[in-house]
Amino acid sequence: MLDLLQTLGSGVLVGLVYALLGLCVVIIFKASEAFNFAIGEFLVIGSFLFYVLFFDLHIPFILALPLGLLLAAAVGALVERVTIKPLLGRAPISMTIVTLGLGFFLRACVQLIWGSHTYSFFLDLPDITVEVGDFLFLSDPIWAGILAILTFVLVIVFLFRTRWGLAIRATSEDQAKALAFGINARFILLIVWALSALCIAVAGIMISNFGALQVGMGFVGLRAIPVVLIGGMDSIGGALVGGIIVGMCEAVAGAYIEPLGLVGFKDVAPYILLLLVLFIRPYGLFGTVRIERV
Amino acid sequence: MLSIENLRVVYHDVISVLNGISLNVQDGEILVIIGANGAGKTTLLRSVAGMIDFYDGDIIEGDIKMNGDSIKGLDATDIMKRYGVTYVMEDRPIFWYLTVEENLGAAAFSRWDSRVKPDMEKVYGYFPVLQKLKGRKAGYASGGEQQMLAIGMALMTNPKTLMLDEPSLGLAPIITAELFEIIRQLNASGITVVLVEQNAHAALDIGNRGYVVETGRIVLDGTAQELLANEDVREFYLGSGKKERKSYKDAKRYKRRKRWL
Ligand SMILES: Nc1ncnc2c1ncn2[C@@H]1O[C@H](COP(=O)(O)OP(=O)(O)OP(=O)(O)O)[C@@H](O)[C@H]1O
Ligand SMILES: [Mg+2]
Repeated sequence: MLDLLQTLGSGVLVGLVYALLGLCVVIIFKASEAFNFAIGEFLVIGSFLFYVLFFDLHIPFILALPLGLLLAAAVGALVERVTIKPLLGRAPISMTIVTLGLGFFLRACVQLIWGSHTYSFFLDLPDITVEVGDFLFLSDPIWAGILAILTFVLVIVFLFRTRWGLAIRATSEDQAKALAFGINARFILLIVWALSALCIAVAGIMISNFGALQVGMGFVGLRAIPVVLIGGMDSIGGALVGGIIVGMCEAVAGAYIEPLGLVGFKDVAPYILLLLVLFIRPYGLFGTVRIERV
Repeated sequence: MLSIENLRVVYHDVISVLNGISLNVQDGEILVIIGANGAGKTTLLRSVAGMIDFYDGDIIEGDIKMNGDSIKGLDATDIMKRYGVTYVMEDRPIFWYLTVEENLGAAAFSRWDSRVKPDMEKVYGYFPVLQKLKGRKAGYASGGEQQMLAIGMALMTNPKTLMLDEPSLGLAPIITAELFEIIRQLNASGITVVLVEQNAHAALDIGNRGYVVETGRIVLDGTAQELLANEDVREFYLGSGKKERKSYKDAKRYKRRKRWL
């Protein structure tokens, strides 16, 4: 029992990072109805940008982090300008397909610049390991959970408490209407991509800090897929719940099922869960209830 | 003065919708534009508002001028900010998942300043019902309330010229009358109004002048009184004579189901 709680707790911490990834997918999906398949590459690039500032240039953490995140946001904005903006007003599926191609392209770029070997990545954050009785939660996952949830909350405050957030929510509902009322939908899309890239970088840095940084790490970004499909593609709360569920599911599968000889089951488990959820609720747990008037 | 000169617009490079339309809107008037479904009225307003490229349409000939400056090809937000032209799209262009108050706030995005709150109060003054609904999601409001909200949102942009695309669509006659009375008041307060309508009678009643559009051309123009008295207009747009009003209402409903993009 204790063991299970410990496992679930660790799962929740990682799950919060997944939730943040899910959020990044959801805000782009809401704004442009496109799924960003290049999320893994954004994650790697964001981490590398921070790596360069912090480990190569030895800029103090407190400066390197915001600077790295801003750079990541700039990359997100640039990508949007070049690949997504020309497609505004076209079918969302074309944007989704562009992100697939974009993923390969960005991965190749990362490989060219940083190669495919592993970079050690250790942030040396203050030790906040929690040890109560038989429970033990390591410092790094706790930091990851805290920073992820903090970022998550900041994004929500931005979306629901500022006029920029209001403009984003309006544009997300209908680009043409937004345009007609003087909200520059093209610029809003740019902001959304930048914001998304920034948050992905936060997640990337946390995940790199669990082990090491390497171009192949991009696949972690695809964890966002079960997260948002379980939570509902267009639900911010769903991303949070979905993230936590996927984190716990993975932890349980890793602790109890893999030892039975099913190596790698941890990576499959969220997808099995996903299928179950979609059987019962095709729009995900929190997919939007459409306003219907009769 | 807004003037449209020999405007030709095509969608997707091939579908020609406006075939050389010319008209002008005098400052301070209510100009009514009537025409059957598919005549190109909405396309005309989209072109003026700078939104035609969003629908994959192109202005291939002609010009649109505001007090002599060409506004053709400017961004929608520039046209709104610099020339005070606000376009209220057809079919109640409100944000369903935002509250009524958030809708008004969103529409004020382009000009956020200290006068936003007083202006909101002014909108509530014109449409008291919105005040009662302000915390509710706009999608749950009734058709009439939604149309009032749409016009209220347009007011939040501080327009000099208001282009309304079929505001009476789907509204009961009594609500339409109420709405048109407010449009008249807005005009009296100094806002120039371009009113596109199928409900020709109600529109011409408050309008100063009118144009009739057919297949992307102006086929008739005159003062509101002249148009109200015109035989053809009476037959085709005012529903007197044999043409039944009901038939195009049905067609309209069908059209609303199909979505572009
Ligand atoms: N995005 C688009 N792509 C292609 N064709 C379009 C598009 N929008 C409108 N059309 C076509 O252009 C023609 C004129 O449409 P428009 O919406 O301007 O007419 P309207 O006069 O506003 O009609 P209604 O009274 O039904 O609103 C129609 O034949 C319509 O099918
Ligand atoms: Mg129309």
